[in-house]
Amino acid sequence: MPVDPKQIRAKDKVVVDGIELTSEWNRMFDQRPVFDYGIDVLEKIAEIPGAESIAWCYQCAQCVPVCPVNEVGDYGPRKIYRRLQFGIDLLTDDELWKCTTCMNCLRVCPKDVNMINIMPAVREEAVMEGHVPAELQEVFENTFEYGNPLGESPRKRADWAKDAGVPVPIMKEKKEADILWFVECYPSYHPRGKETSVALAKVLNALNVDFGILGTEEKCSCDSQRLAGERGLFEEFAEENIKTFSKYKFNKILVTDPHALNAFKKEYPKLGGEYDVVHYTTFLAPLMDKLEFKNTLNYKVTFHDPCYLGRHNGEYDAPRQIINSLPGVELVEMWRCRQNSFCCGGGGGGMWLDGFMADHVKERLSENRVKEAVETGADVLVVCCPYEISRFEDAVKSTGNEGKLIVKDIIELVVEAMGV
Amino acid sequence: MPSQDILVIGGGPAGLEAARSIGDLGFKAILVEKRDRLGGTPDEAQYAALTPDLRSAEEAMNEMIQAVENNPNVDIRLSSTVVAAEGSVGDFKVTVKNGKGEEVLNVGAVIVATGFQHFDPGRETQKYGYYEYEDVITLVDCEKMLKAHRFVRPSDGKKPERVCFIQCVGSRDRRIGNEYCSKVCCGIASKEAIEIRQMVPDCKVFIFYIDMRMYSYWEPQLYWKAQEEHKVNYVKGIATEIVKKGDKLLVKGEDTTLRRPFEIPMDIVILSVGMEPSKGTREIAKIFGLKQNKYQFIEAVGAPMDTVSTSVPGVFAAGACTGPADLEDSISAAGLAAMRAIKTVRENGAKKAS
Repeated sequence: MPVDPKQIRAKDKVVVDGIELTSEWNRMFDQRPVFDYGIDVLEKIAEIPGAESIAWCYQCAQCVPVCPVNEVGDYGPRKIYRRLQFGIDLLTDDELWKCTTCMNCLRVCPKDVNMINIMPAVREEAVMEGHVPAELQEVFENTFEYGNPLGESPRKRADWAKDAGVPVPIMKEKKEADILWFVECYPSYHPRGKETSVALAKVLNALNVDFGILGTEEKCSCDSQRLAGERGLFEEFAEENIKTFSKYKFNKILVTDPHALNAFKKEYPKLGGEYDVVHYTTFLAPLMDKLEFKNTLNYKVTFHDPCYLGRHNGEYDAPRQIINSLPGVELVEMWRCRQNSFCCGGGGGGMWLDGFMADHVKERLSENRVKEAVETGADVLVVCCPYEISRFEDAVKSTGNEGKLIVKDIIELVVEAMGV
Repeated sequence: MPSQDILVIGGGPAGLEAARSIGDLGFKAILVEKRDRLGGTPDEAQYAALTPDLRSAEEAMNEMIQAVENNPNVDIRLSSTVVAAEGSVGDFKVTVKNGKGEEVLNVGAVIVATGFQHFDPGRETQKYGYYEYEDVITLVDCEKMLKAHRFVRPSDGKKPERVCFIQCVGSRDRRIGNEYCSKVCCGIASKEAIEIRQMVPDCKVFIFYIDMRMYSYWEPQLYWKAQEEHKVNYVKGIATEIVKKGDKLLVKGEDTTLRRPFEIPMDIVILSVGMEPSKGTREIAKIFGLKQNKYQFIEAVGAPMDTVSTSVPGVFAAGACTGPADLEDSISAAGLAAMRAIKTVRENGAKKAS
């Protein structure tokens, strides 16, 4: 008989003489001894294709100090392995949904325990069994129904372009372009995302880039939904996007979203879609000297490396090159940067699990990160992933740092320097 | 009278390798073995498969034995023990006794290869109830069952559902006096765990450990293989007590990484017993006046740069008589001891000629 999960979890709240005890102490109110190991469960999970390496952990624990969720709670691959060894079924355990697939554990793991494969594989199984946090399920349904996780109308996907003030050609009319710009959902619908899309459109126009967007034909790349367990949805949408791409002639796909970059680079080829794909920072970095800057910005900025641009796809320099080319901008690094960048909490489905996570962590990852940014003394936290702008702006407010730090997409800084 | 013959004491892996090497290089080796057959501990304790390659111990040892038996330069004396020695480098007079009587051998150099014995887990403390519970066994007892292809619960012959190893029994222990790590037990436990999983696939196997010490290639060959391919469960924290509960053994300890006590029922508990100097090693050390370390192993006085010279010139030691050693250590040291012994007797021959 496997151990009862409650047995190794602290009670939610223990109050003695009016004082609420911390989890260290309230554990004493639980039964402590372990009466059995339920290793059948470990074997069951390790049999799921993709999840094999969970059974390889030898408890060196290097993953724990670099796990962002452990920074704000109690987590890490080593601990997941231990819970499995104790017979706690990951398929029904809340632990399954805490990982943001940020990949910092894999960076340091000597045994190749690969959460980037394990998490989507086990979550897919859980999704099939119907064990999904409600808020995430809603996002899956929105994506399925509307083609985007925000539940916005697919017909309004390119509405932002109407107000851009510069031409944003649609491939349906243009048919052929050097660059196919895959805008993705948050930059199409989210108020702050739309502003960055307009900014990027201005820069592309200033550089005379021959580009086009898919407009209402574009569908979510679904990479985060895939990592959150909806492989079926991902594949369905991928097939539709691949079909749409096949209608047009283009040389390169430009993406705003590092998650889309990841999908096109690593997952679409498996489904027959091979493209030359580039993140907008990588695309723009070598073109910066072609832009004319009218304004000196006088900002001290710090830069947040997105997990899916940096660790997952190896791009650390392009955003920094862009920042350093802007007049009057001084870049100060946070100590967790580049390969060791701290996750904003949005990846792997985390974008849609803030309510769920609130029960498991003392603060959001984005809040933890914003505090670090404030510590550097920077005025601006520069980002280049569409998840981050809203997450960090919320976190600036919730940590009481309004007025101390503003959050800007890197492209907004470029446009500001250009004065267009 | 000075001699160019070399005496090898002990017919286990180190002694066999030393004798073969001496013979191969054209010198005469006299191999003395107290048992009535060669093969040493792997044969006497009926090892099933060797660590780390899981090759049949019987097959591997027979190969070594044949190499010695077919070597015209090796004179094998079975059922013989060394009872006295005098003389010095180049000219030792060693008294060997067998059923027929005593004989004095004149040799120029000696290689001691008298090996180790397994720690007796009932001797010092009764912590694990080795003599109390039939289903508490040692690595050695487990080898015998594996060799017989019948891995069952000793008390009732039933197929075990759960088995655990407890590491470091009789090693790394100041109270017992064996402060050293016995070096091979982590590997052997992992090897036996693999064999158990192969023989009884439904049986869950646990290894409770303090540190897994899988040096060099043993890491992927044994530890990773056991965990990744054979689903052996490693838990950090060795059990302290074993209590009989019905027909099971309740193993009590702390799961240190979870900081929780555990009380897990097991069918068989295997104690990973370490190495101690054998009775033969201790006796031979006394007979030749060899310096022993605080654990009574023969001291390799030039270690680490010279792993085979003892405190007595002309007497060399190889294998587990100098301390915990695996087969690779023993075989390597035996070759080196043979080389050093030959160098010694050749110098002696040169002196004799002048």
